[in-house]
Amino acid sequence: MYITDLRAISPQATFDAGGLQDHPTSHSGNKYNAQEPDYAGLIAPILLRRMGKSIRMGIGAGLPLIQNQRNIDAIIIGSSEGGLEDCIKFLNQIVLYKEGTLTPTNFVQSTPNALAGSLALMSRNTCYNITHVHKGNAFENALIDAMLLFEEGKADTILAGNVEEISDYNFNIETLAGQFKVEDSTSENLLESGTPGTVCGEGASMFILKDKADDYLARIVDVAQISYPTEEEILGLIMDTLKKNNLRPEDIDTLILGKSGDSHTDVWYTAVNRKLFQEQSIFTFKDLVGEYPTSIAFATYLAACLISGRNIGWKLILPPKPIKHILIYNHYKGVQHGLILMSI
Amino acid sequence: MDKAELILNLKKQIIQYVNILDYKPDQIGDDLPLFGPDGLGLDSIDALELSVMLEREYDIKLTNPAEARKIFVSVNSIAEYIISTKSSE
Repeated sequence: MYITDLRAISPQATFDAGGLQDHPTSHSGNKYNAQEPDYAGLIAPILLRRMGKSIRMGIGAGLPLIQNQRNIDAIIIGSSEGGLEDCIKFLNQIVLYKEGTLTPTNFVQSTPNALAGSLALMSRNTCYNITHVHKGNAFENALIDAMLLFEEGKADTILAGNVEEISDYNFNIETLAGQFKVEDSTSENLLESGTPGTVCGEGASMFILKDKADDYLARIVDVAQISYPTEEEILGLIMDTLKKNNLRPEDIDTLILGKSGDSHTDVWYTAVNRKLFQEQSIFTFKDLVGEYPTSIAFATYLAACLISGRNIGWKLILPPKPIKHILIYNHYKGVQHGLILMSI
Repeated sequence: MDKAELILNLKKQIIQYVNILDYKPDQIGDDLPLFGPDGLGLDSIDALELSVMLEREYDIKLTNPAEARKIFVSVNSIAEYIISTKSSE
């Protein structure tokens, strides 16, 4: 399937720049907050006042793409947590008001499928509408869903994307569980920190996918996922995915890895890099946008920018030869692993 | 609490509950319609927020939707309803 248009709201200025800026934003501390655009003109103030951050970002990235299309046959979102901040506010209200009458807004905004529903309502789209919530593999499942719809001839054009937001409550809980670093780091030294934990990120990346296209930015060739694998199983999955698409490791010229600076879980990337891909150009993205369950969607955005020649920023030095095949390998907490094979 | 003080408090609370934080209390007229294009432009979700506000702030629980329609006409009508409910308790 083909990516013909894309938008992202992320901790980088991707929305306004239409790619990554020449000098990406350097973040410090353990939260990489999204750079939200001015939503005036995009979202009516009467609706915006009620939207949580995840809905705002998802609508902000997704609605312009829908508006540029004549027909959208499906809206497919991957989001592990949805509007996490509003969800936790709602849960706290249940306790605070002793299970009495609750204000509906936080509940309306907090469900993971609120974004896909809002996109459909705002664009008056009544087609297939679904949200995948498989935590660290939610975006991969959204893409697989899109591929299946295309294969079955049920869609020609699909909006697919992700959204995830930082919640202060959840950040504190995850920090106690060791997910995030206790010491401060910066974008520049995150990946070489050598300490446990990573940094928390957020964002929404949206894509217009088509079954057939002459004019396109990049092609998504295949998607694969696995949970609780051994190292041999990950290497096997990569080899099987390449073989299925008549490729060998040496045919991959660029690798995008989800290295997060967590000394406990970056070993997976080191193994894949060392055992299968020693000659390839390697790109990382969590030093730009932080870690979140569907961060592989931003890697897909990055890969599409690389393949289509969009601006990709100072730290990402282009390889000397043109890019033909990109493999994205990412995992979430070392548990859920995903592969996305992209091509020109 | 006299009615003027109640109306001022209600305006502050409505701004918070329906999340129109760019409004100031003096921008909301006492008799300005809360719903519809000629007034504040609130909608059905806001009506639920106002019901929750009455329950939490004034310990008044609305059970009849038809009754709510008459009460939530303006800040003035809400204030009058609160005063009459509290005086009959």
